[in-house]
Amino acid sequence: MASYYFYMNWEPVYAILLLTSTIVTYFAALSIGHFKEKRKKKLCLVSGLVLNLAILFLFKYYNFLASNIEEALLASGLGIHVPEFHMLLPVGISFYIFQALGYSIDVYRQTTKVEHDFLTYALFVSFFPQLVAGPIERSRNLLPQFQQRHRFSYDEVMAGVRLMVWGYFLKLVLADRCGLYVDAVFNNIEMHNGGSYLLASLLFPFQIYGDFAGYSLIAIGVARVLGFHLMENFRRPYFACSIGEFWHRWHISLSTWFKDYVYIPLGGNRSNKTRHYFNLMVTFIVSGIWHGANWTFLCWGSLHGILLCIEKACGIGKQDYSGCKRLSHWAVTFALVCLSWIFFRASNLNDAVIVVSGIFCNMGIPNVTFAMFSELCLAAFAMALLVIRELSDEFSWKWHISKSHYWLVRHLYIVGMIAMILLFGVLDGDQFIYFQF
Amino acid sequence: MKKFIASLVFIIVGLFVTDRIGGVGMNWVYEHTNDVLSPKLRYIHQEIHEDVVLMGASRCHHHYLPSILSRTLGMSVYNAGVGGSNNIFSHYMVLCHILARYTPKIICLEVMPTDYCQQTDTYHALSFFAPLFGYNQAADSVYQLAETYYQYHISHLYRYNAKASSNLLGLVLNRQVGNDNGYIPLPKPNPFPKELTTEDTKNDIDSLKIRYIQRFADLCHERRIKLIFTVSPKFTIVDSAHYHILKDIAKENGIPFLDYHTCRLYHDHAEYFKDSSHLWDEGARKFSQEFANDLKNTIEKQTTESEEQHTIGYVIACS
Repeated sequence: MASYYFYMNWEPVYAILLLTSTIVTYFAALSIGHFKEKRKKKLCLVSGLVLNLAILFLFKYYNFLASNIEEALLASGLGIHVPEFHMLLPVGISFYIFQALGYSIDVYRQTTKVEHDFLTYALFVSFFPQLVAGPIERSRNLLPQFQQRHRFSYDEVMAGVRLMVWGYFLKLVLADRCGLYVDAVFNNIEMHNGGSYLLASLLFPFQIYGDFAGYSLIAIGVARVLGFHLMENFRRPYFACSIGEFWHRWHISLSTWFKDYVYIPLGGNRSNKTRHYFNLMVTFIVSGIWHGANWTFLCWGSLHGILLCIEKACGIGKQDYSGCKRLSHWAVTFALVCLSWIFFRASNLNDAVIVVSGIFCNMGIPNVTFAMFSELCLAAFAMALLVIRELSDEFSWKWHISKSHYWLVRHLYIVGMIAMILLFGVLDGDQFIYFQF
Repeated sequence: MKKFIASLVFIIVGLFVTDRIGGVGMNWVYEHTNDVLSPKLRYIHQEIHEDVVLMGASRCHHHYLPSILSRTLGMSVYNAGVGGSNNIFSHYMVLCHILARYTPKIICLEVMPTDYCQQTDTYHALSFFAPLFGYNQAADSVYQLAETYYQYHISHLYRYNAKASSNLLGLVLNRQVGNDNGYIPLPKPNPFPKELTTEDTKNDIDSLKIRYIQRFADLCHERRIKLIFTVSPKFTIVDSAHYHILKDIAKENGIPFLDYHTCRLYHDHAEYFKDSSHLWDEGARKFSQEFANDLKNTIEKQTTESEEQHTIGYVIACS
């Protein structure tokens, strides 16, 4: 009930979609469990998949397809109007539908048991901390937790609070401060030069990381306060030394979802090289389209697919690097990830091309007003805190304040972070970027 | 559970203490910074005494030189324009703070369509004035519209959120260079604006803003302050009905309206503009002289007419 109340606060009518997806996958899974014949099981699974993907297609991709068909028809001399579907994109639709689909497939594969209690299953699909922007949970991790009895645990609550506080800091101080400059540049491409494009392109990776990892931490923290453990979604992705490693660290719940339910069923790497590369490309193109109905996301996914294929072909990322070699691999990987983010952030492909060409051909001093400079100083401060924290996590340094052995230090950390958010946070900023997916 | 309650109490008390100590610290920063806004807020709150006060947003802040106006009018002038305070709610707050100190003789309000039209972030700029929270009840009441009243009431640190970074940077960088009683010059642009764009006339009226414009006019009327609405030059083309809603209000209240935009002043002088909305220092100096003469004439005309018991209508400055 609380989860549905949470969701209905945004737009009550869209709770019907959430309920529909839940009912469809619930009965699909029940039927899969009921039938003995594989053909019937498969039919139930496919019905569930088609119905859910149809909802997703209608709300997320139909208008994109319709406008592209209309343009194509116009270009070929046929001025036929393809009707549009005028409804808001339901928040978090890709997340809960993928979570529900994952459950159906797991039941079909017999890697998870059928959940007979409808309310427990409905809670699994709609669990409010991760409903609108993930992590996309697996049934075998979350469903058993709903069946367990939970007792109040002081350590769990405080650990959850610390995660939430850090998540809010990443979102409100780091992401939203970076976003002020990124939006100023990407929303007014024609007013800026290559220097501004470069600076915005270096800030956007931190904005999207702060925004999405921040949300994930808040979700994981809230769940932990309630006694539930959600899966890790980010593991210091910008420390990756290859694109492959980046995807082991970035949006882990989605990348493992695609690995388990798209890449491996296609044949994964247990096939010839051409087929392996094809599987990689398909997975990344689908991953790109998952983010939104726009050519920019398709390009972003394709770019990652191509880079990963090149890495596989060259044998990069197979061994652990150290010293200068590690540093150079990290720098190249970070630069490539930043480059690909330009396609993710740009409003359209034309803007993305202008930004990329501007960086290489029209370099100049970035257009930064004093007011913006002061915002960037704050963003730099937040980045410095992030880097220190992530370095200490990455290299297991002992001076992690939030995990200090001393009660007083851990509590002062919470107080200090809240005070910093009050003073430096953008508290009237935008919603989370990933809510739109 | 006892451990949890102890933690909760520590965090709440710790946060309260940190908020108050941080508030004192940020107040010190606010008092000593050489940023653009805070010195102006300090002056409005603690020192303002001039006969003529110019109010508005960045177009007021960067377009009117008090020294030039002062020479022509023979009165002291202060430019209280605040960059980014782009609607009547902010101007109303500034007026409340000024009237709490003294009664100026003349107030010139630089108006914009955002003073009566609907906006997506209507109350965003109110946060700029939060360091003055708690000093003036009428001004503070505006925060209730923005639903930030209780946040500012509870947290002292949050009052400094909007300009925390620029205030801190203002401790080491002086942004008061060229300050002429509140006016800060804009630098010469490179390049000048190239093309005149057309600006649409908006009619999506925000009735609450209209009420606050009326309140603004009523407050000035109660204190016998001569109120004048002005629109300084912009490098955009608009039709003659662009400010008709504000002109109607001006007419009803007997407020002179000096409009230099619809009559396309300086549209043949792109070199006076920094961008489509702002004059840079050279343009501002030319305009201030022109405005000073018109203002002087308007005041004299208004004085004569009020002696003859007439109510003045509105004036188009450059027809």
